[in-house]
Amino acid sequence: MNAVTQIAVPSPVRRETPAAVAISIRKLNKFYGGFQALRDIDLEVGQGEIVILCGPSGSGKSSLIRCINHLEQHNSGTIRVNGTELTHKASDVAQVRRQLGMVFQGFNLFPHMTVLANCTFALRLALRLPAAEANDIAREYLARVNVQDQAAKYPSELSGGQQQRVAIARALCLKPSIMLFDEPTSALDPESVGSVLRIMEDLAATGITMVCVTHEMGFARRVADRCVFMEKGEIVEEGTSDRFFSAPSTARLKAFLQQVL
Amino acid sequence: MPEMGFVQQLGIGALMTIKVAVLSYLLALAIGTAFALVTLRRRLVVGFIWQVYASIFTGVPSLLVAFLFFYAGSGIVASLASLVGLTVTVDISPFAAAVAALGMVYGAYLADLIRSAIQNVPPGQFEAAKVLLVPQPATWLLVILPQVLRLALPGMTNMWIVVMKDTALISLIGLKEIMAYAKLASGVTKEPFIYYVLASVFFLGMTWLTYFVSRRIESWSERGYKPVVKQEPAHAL
Amino acid sequence: MHYDPVLAWESMPTLLAGTATTFAVLLPVLVLGLLLALPVALMRLERGGKAVFAASYIAFFRGVPSLVLLYLVYSGLPQLSVVRDTFLWTVFSNAYFCAWVGLTLTHSGYMAEIIRGGLAAVPPGVVEAATALGLSPRQALFRLRLPMAARYVLKAYQNELLIMVKSTSAVSAITLVDLTAAANTVFDYTYDPFTPLVTAAAIYWCIVNIMRIGFTMADRKLNRHLARG
Ligand SMILES: Nc1ncnc2c1ncn2[C@@H]1O[C@H](COP(=O)(O)OP(=O)(O)O)[C@@H](O)[C@H]1O
Ligand SMILES: [Mg+2]
Repeated sequence: MNAVTQIAVPSPVRRETPAAVAISIRKLNKFYGGFQALRDIDLEVGQGEIVILCGPSGSGKSSLIRCINHLEQHNSGTIRVNGTELTHKASDVAQVRRQLGMVFQGFNLFPHMTVLANCTFALRLALRLPAAEANDIAREYLARVNVQDQAAKYPSELSGGQQQRVAIARALCLKPSIMLFDEPTSALDPESVGSVLRIMEDLAATGITMVCVTHEMGFARRVADRCVFMEKGEIVEEGTSDRFFSAPSTARLKAFLQQVL
Repeated sequence: MPEMGFVQQLGIGALMTIKVAVLSYLLALAIGTAFALVTLRRRLVVGFIWQVYASIFTGVPSLLVAFLFFYAGSGIVASLASLVGLTVTVDISPFAAAVAALGMVYGAYLADLIRSAIQNVPPGQFEAAKVLLVPQPATWLLVILPQVLRLALPGMTNMWIVVMKDTALISLIGLKEIMAYAKLASGVTKEPFIYYVLASVFFLGMTWLTYFVSRRIESWSERGYKPVVKQEPAHAL
Repeated sequence: MHYDPVLAWESMPTLLAGTATTFAVLLPVLVLGLLLALPVALMRLERGGKAVFAASYIAFFRGVPSLVLLYLVYSGLPQLSVVRDTFLWTVFSNAYFCAWVGLTLTHSGYMAEIIRGGLAAVPPGVVEAATALGLSPRQALFRLRLPMAARYVLKAYQNELLIMVKSTSAVSAITLVDLTAAANTVFDYTYDPFTPLVTAAAIYWCIVNIMRIGFTMADRKLNRHLARG
C-alpha cells in the first residue's frame, strides 16, 4: 500500500504541482429534506495537498466533508477518491473509506474502551490483525501524538487535547492516505488547541493529503497549500493560502476574514 | 414452627419461581430488543404494530393475559395455525402460559427502555465505527451494546424485580411455585402465618440479591466513565 | 378462536359488577396509600432511627409481592391470638378490608419512594428562601415543597396508578370477585374462556387508557401553569 510509505516518509513531491488527484468532486448537491446544504460544489484535492475549508457556521463545511466519506449521502454529482467513484453501493463506500481517516469535532472515542483498545479496535475487527501486531501499530501512533503514557487509561481520564490526539492516532492506525478533519480544535480549551495543531502540522509535513475544516486562521496560513471559502452551501472563493489571506478577491471573503482574524 | 417437609416444598416452589421469572425475563428481553430495534426508525406499518402491541400488553393485567393464554391458548394457536393452513393441537401448561404472558407483557416495557437507551448513545459512536470500517455486527455488539447496557441497567434491574414478583401473582393460574406451596402448607398445618412470612423472606432475599449483583454489574459497566456523584441507592434495601 | 358477541353482551352485568368490585378495592387503596406514604416519605428524608424505619418500610413493602401481603393479612394474621381473640377478627375476616390493607401497604411503599424523590428534587434554595420570608417549616412543606414535588412526580405517579389498577387483579385470590375473577366465573358456566377474558381485557384497557388521557390533560394544565408562573 502506497499509503503506508506516504505517512512514514516525508514526501519530496512539490505540492504546487500535485502528481495525482486524491479527491475530485464535481457538481455535488446535497439536500436535507427540502433544504439544500450543498450547491454544485466543484473541488479537486491533489495527493499530498493540504486544503483548509473555512466559512461561517451553517455554510455546509461539515456536510461536504461528511459526504466525502459517505456519512451523509449526496443527492447528485460525483465524488472520486483516489480514482474510486463513491456511489451508494456498500462495496464502493468501503473502498473509499479505506483511503480516508476522519477526525471529529467531538472526538467520538469509545468511552468504554481504553486508549489502546480504541486504537486497536479497528485494526483487529476491520483489518483482522493479530493482537500483538495491532498493539505495536497502535503504540507507534500513540507515541507519535505524544500520548503513549496514557495507553491504559480510559478517554474520560484524559484532557480534551489528549483525547483528540488519541482520535487522530486511532484514525492514523488504519494508514489512510487522506485525512479529513471537521473542526478538530473547536471543542477544546485554549491550552489544548496548540497541542493538537502541532500534531496536525507534523502530520501535514509527512506528505499525507489533508482536508481540514477549521477556524484557526494562523494554522491555515502556516500549513495550507490551498484555502477554500464556503458560504450558503457554495464555494465562494479558493486560492493558495498566500493569495487567500493577503489578497481576497470577493467582498464576502474579505468580510469573513475581517471577522475571524 | 414450620415443618421441614413443607419448607422443603417451599424451596422447590422457590426454584420454580426463579425458573419462570428467568425464562419470562429472557423472553421479555428478546421481545423488547426486537421491538426496540425495528422501531428505532419511524416506519409506518411496524410502528403501528408496535403501538397496538404495547397498548394491549401494558393496558391489561398480566394475570388476565396469563388466564387467557392458559385457558384459550391452545384455541388461539390452533386458529392462528389454521390461517396458514395448518392443523395444530397444543396443550398449554400453566408454566408455558405464565412464561408467555410475563414475557409478552414485560417485553412491551423493556422495548421502550431499550429503545431510549439506544437513542441516547451519541450518534458519533456509530459514525466513528463506520469511518473505522468496523463491520456492523461488531459495531452493535462491541461499541453500542456496552453503552446501551450502561444506560438501561437500572431500569432493567427494576423490571427484573417486577417480573419476579409478578410470578407470584401468576401462580393463580395453577403454577406450582412458592406461593402455591405456601398456600398448601398453610391449609394443611393451619399455620399460614409462618409460611407466608417465609415466602416474604424469599422475595426480599431475591430483591436484595438482585441489587447486590446489579451494583456489581453497574460498576463494571461504568468503567471508563468519570465517577459521577451517585444518587443514594433509592431502591436498595 | 371464536369471539361470541352475544355471550359478551349477556355476561356484561357480571363483568360490570366485577368492575365495580375492582373500583371498590382500588379507590380506598389510592387514598389510604397516599395518606400513609406521606409521613413515611418525610421520615425517610430525616436522619437516624426514623429514616432507617422508613427505609425498611419502603424496602419491605416494595420487595414483597402484593399477593403475599394479601395472604398474610387475610389468612396469616387471624392465626395470631391478638387478632383471633379480639374484635379484630371480625375486621380481618372481611375480604374487602384485607384487600384494602394489603394493597394499601404495597401502594404506600411505592408512593413513599415517589414522594421522597419528588421532595428531594425541590431545590434547597427554595426552602431557604421560604424560611427567610418567615414561613414556618410546616407552611413551607404544605405550601411549597409538596406542591412543587407533585409536579416533578406526576409521570411516576401515573405509572404507579396504572400499575395499581392492574394489581387489583390479585384480590381474586382472597375470594373477592373483581373484574378478572368475574371473567373466570363466566368462563366457568359457559366453557368459553376466550369471550369473557377478552371482554374483561377490553374493559381494563378502557380504564387504563381513560386514566392515561386524564393524566395527559392534567400534565398539560400543570405545564401551562408552570409556563405562566
Ligand atoms: N442532518 C441534518 N438535517 C437537516 N439539516 C441539516 C443537517 N445537517 C446539517 N443541516 C443543515 O445544513 C446546513 C449546513 O450545515 P453544516 O454542513 O453542518 O454547516 P457547517 O459545518 O459549515 O457549520 C445548515 O443550515 C444545517 O442546519
Ligand atoms: Mg460543522
